Amino acid sequence: MHVVIINGSPRVQKHSNTDAIIQSFGKGLHESGSTYELYSLSNRGEWDAARDAFITHEQIIFALPLYVECVPSIMLEFLETLPAKRQQSAQISFILHGGFDEGHQLRLCERFLQSLPAQLGCTYGGCLIQGGSFLIRMRDDEKMKKAMDKKMDGYTKMGLSFADHGNFLTPEVSKFIGHEKNPWFVHLLFKLFIKRLVRNNFDYFAKQWGCTRPLDDKPYLRLEIKR
Amino acid sequence: MTIVLNTLAEGVASEQISTLIKGDVEVVNTSDMKIAHCTGCNMCWLKTPGVCAIKDDYAGIIKKLVVAENLWLVSDTRFGFVDWHGKRVMDRIVPMLNMYIEFRDGSERHELRYHPLNFGLLYKGEADQEFLEEWSRRVASNLAGNSLGVIKMGEDKSCM
Repeated sequence: MHVVIINGSPRVQKHSNTDAIIQSFGKGLHESGSTYELYSLSNRGEWDAARDAFITHEQIIFALPLYVECVPSIMLEFLETLPAKRQQSAQISFILHGGFDEGHQLRLCERFLQSLPAQLGCTYGGCLIQGGSFLIRMRDDEKMKKAMDKKMDGYTKMGLSFADHGNFLTPEVSKFIGHEKNPWFVHLLFKLFIKRLVRNNFDYFAKQWGCTRPLDDKPYLRLEIKR
Repeated sequence: MTIVLNTLAEGVASEQISTLIKGDVEVVNTSDMKIAHCTGCNMCWLKTPGVCAIKDDYAGIIKKLVVAENLWLVSDTRFGFVDWHGKRVMDRIVPMLNMYIEFRDGSERHELRYHPLNFGLLYKGEADQEFLEEWSRRVASNLAGNSLGVIKMGEDKSCM
């Protein structure tokens, strides 16, 4: 099987969590003898080639991060440049991920993605969904490495599964999303311990990035008060 | 104060907007403004808190939002959802929140950098009303505000 994968994230490929997910997923495709070609919408220079590949291939995957409860605007712009009808049939599948780990936060975007292939003259091949991807960017950090390696291995398994079934319409894909909502005791633990831990981690990342202001700074209100 | 981001071609539907949205309203026509897509660089959360790394006309919008209570988006639609022009001005709203996380309305949410904002949507064309209502509810929840409603606009006579 040959798959066209289009990375719908606006973030440059080098720092793209979506790209990291695609690389792990693609490893699974390769292990089972399938091949893929990749286009990244963050690079405008690849749009024409991505569109040509979309038009001429039958197995297409869009991989994207959740942006403000739906598809990133850059991907919406690209979608508008695609033809509504096509010569030969094709299947579009999706890899959807987001920063928060709660599955329900990704469900509305999933609904949009379900409706999309028919509007482009294609069939729907399902949606592989998982949250908790914020830390992928920090995956080389000692603290995060173990958990993130496990997460990325999961995507490699899903690459193997996609090569096997030709779509994401399987029970194992349905389970991949994990929990829909955190149970009450996680809310409690969060209030008591986790919140501070997470804050400390963010402060630690910010410091590494050279941040000199508190993360809850209100820069524009400061301007207002000065005035 | 209410900020209306009109992402339709300049001036289009201005009459309808003033009929539908009352009170202390400032309409910002974004079609002739320089606004890039959010690139998800995380700078506004982790490097320069509250300040977007992209230096374009959106900074002026953020400065208005920090003193507003209500935000209305006016947008054309595509694929049953707001089109990319409308979504683009929403994707850039990230500096209004900060990196820290809390549970709000029973869901993981980013903390507000400033204050709650209510959110409403005026849309043009054929779209899935129920889907847009759910989207607006979720967007408002992100901003710790209420959904002000989702209204389908009629054919605009002012531009004929």
